[in-house]
Amino acid sequence: MIHIENLVKRYGDLVALDHLNLDIKEGEIFGLLGPNGSGKTTAINCLLALLKYDKGTVTIFGRPMTPDSYDLKKDIGIVMQNVAVFDQMSVMENIDYFCGLYVKDKEKRRLVEEAITFAGLENYKKMRPKKLSGGLLRRLNIACGIVHKPRLIILDEPTVAVDPQSRNKILSGIMELNRQGSTIIYTSHYMEEVEQICSRIAIIDHGQVLATGTTEELKKMIKTGETITIEAISLAEPELAALREFPHVFDLSYQEQVLTLRLSSAKHNLVRILNFLQEKNISFGQVFSALPTLNDVFLEITGKELRD
Amino acid sequence: MLHLFKYRFIQVTRDYANIFWTLLFPIILGTLFYFSFGSSGLAGSGETPWDMVRVAVIEEDGTSVQAQAFRTFLNEMDGDAIEITDITSEGKALRALKEEQILGIYYVKDTPSLTVSKNGIQETILTSLLETYLQNASIIEKIAINHPENLEAALSSMEDYQEMTQDTSLGGKTLDPNVHYFFALIAYACLSGAFLGLQSSNDSQANLSPLGARRSVTPTNKLVLILIDFITLFIVHLICILILNLYIAKVLGISLGDRPGVLLLVNLMGCMIGVSLGIVLGCIARFSINIKTGFVVALTLFPSFLAGLMFGNMKHIIELYCPVINRINPAAVLSDAFYCISVYNDSQLLIRSLLTLAAMSLLFIIAAFYRIRRERYDSI
Repeated sequence: MIHIENLVKRYGDLVALDHLNLDIKEGEIFGLLGPNGSGKTTAINCLLALLKYDKGTVTIFGRPMTPDSYDLKKDIGIVMQNVAVFDQMSVMENIDYFCGLYVKDKEKRRLVEEAITFAGLENYKKMRPKKLSGGLLRRLNIACGIVHKPRLIILDEPTVAVDPQSRNKILSGIMELNRQGSTIIYTSHYMEEVEQICSRIAIIDHGQVLATGTTEELKKMIKTGETITIEAISLAEPELAALREFPHVFDLSYQEQVLTLRLSSAKHNLVRILNFLQEKNISFGQVFSALPTLNDVFLEITGKELRD
Repeated sequence: MLHLFKYRFIQVTRDYANIFWTLLFPIILGTLFYFSFGSSGLAGSGETPWDMVRVAVIEEDGTSVQAQAFRTFLNEMDGDAIEITDITSEGKALRALKEEQILGIYYVKDTPSLTVSKNGIQETILTSLLETYLQNASIIEKIAINHPENLEAALSSMEDYQEMTQDTSLGGKTLDPNVHYFFALIAYACLSGAFLGLQSSNDSQANLSPLGARRSVTPTNKLVLILIDFITLFIVHLICILILNLYIAKVLGISLGDRPGVLLLVNLMGCMIGVSLGIVLGCIARFSINIKTGFVVALTLFPSFLAGLMFGNMKHIIELYCPVINRINPAAVLSDAFYCISVYNDSQLLIRSLLTLAAMSLLFIIAAFYRIRRERYDSI
């Protein structure tokens, strides 16, 4: 459905997109995961033909995307990172206005009502955007972008500065849109969100796609199979040295009586560690064992944490 | 299409900050002018008596037919728009002119001429009188040569014209020297349409605002969006300006002439130049909307200052030392157009003013459209 090949975008000496390649299939919720400044929004703006780029090709629905591709644009919905609504118009008027830019027939009224219900804005129809909370404003922003029921919806960090309740509503709404047949491109630097809703993810940094796949596929790409955390434990250097030499342990950190071990995937890792502590008669507090997260994936691939 | 007009209209009319600058601020300013200058001098439907302009008439050659005709013309004006003193020698007249006892000297000869010592409304009236006479004389002369059979009818119509001129323009209507403040104020209000144009420009470009980006990725042609914006803003601004005109004319009682059609035309051109100035300022550089608003404040107030909004003689000083500024300053050109309607009947100046405004508007609109229609940006 979307094909981006060798996309290069430079801002002077800064390379924002460095031979970026992406293929997005119809029906996916495709996540673009990367820290702030990694090139996610730039990629979206090039995809939408808003930005000039130095090299590469972009096709949507099999056709090249240009500023004059009005027939393609009518099937695309965009939810910008920054809220883009008219402060002088009410919730209903804003949604109706943006719907009118896409839909000319009598369907408009029904679509507007559906978008209001979808975003949970039924009780705020007559309110102006400035009177809405941050979460409601984001929901209005989304409603304006998806009101025309497009085939492709691009959501650029739609949950920034949103309360948990609104965030959950937004995420469940996105999954519902996908169920209704829309292909979604979702950019975020919140790995939990991406992990929760995306069927396929591209990890992007410095304008390059570092890895692409499903969550499971990405996790399999890395060494970490399990992360064991043991709290309130007092260890001396000999015990730490012994733990470092343990089978499958490839990373150990010990700070403020919290031991964190990262191990490659193997059976009975936790049992072996606990047996060792028992043999040495070392007391400890709570124990956690966690499977790898996308943050682990990002950490291993880029050498840095995903979060700022 | 109607849908887009409707919502743009709602959006613009609910933008109270812009409405304040384009409508309420000029009304407040006009009210302050009214009370500052004293209502007695301005009110009364423009029927305020005007001090007649004192002149000397020097006969250089009073024998020719042309000279006699001019003397007759001046005598008709005596006691109405001008007051002819009893100074008859040129030396005395020049001395009186220097001491400002008189404001002009008419020379009666084959080709009549005028000498004034400075620029101002009263001197402009004297010039206008002479030009009116010379134009009429030239027309009569041509008719006498080419169509002598129509000479009588032409003379008759000329008398009508003189009568009209005496009654409306030169007969003492709307000649209070403070009235130009109101013309400059309307000119300023017209230019303040730039605030509306600036906002529209900002809302249309993806590199300037999220709204611009969102509107740029819709299937509605961008030029259509820009055109709808422009027309809507223009209509809203025109309504504001007409309200201001009504307020000045009906509430404050300042006469804006008795040619509503021409007044509407001048207002139309004023709105056009104001909105297009804002649109072009909005798209020439990528500054923040606040910085650009600062530019608009400067580029509406400064030309208005030069046109005499804050200091009444400024326009005349500029006319004396650098007249080209008055030819290209939209506020001064608008102010001239209002003079043409309300103070003196100078159709040539009116046409020149309207053409200047139209040309400037067209230039701004073409430049703005050229810039805004650029649809892919280097950075967002």
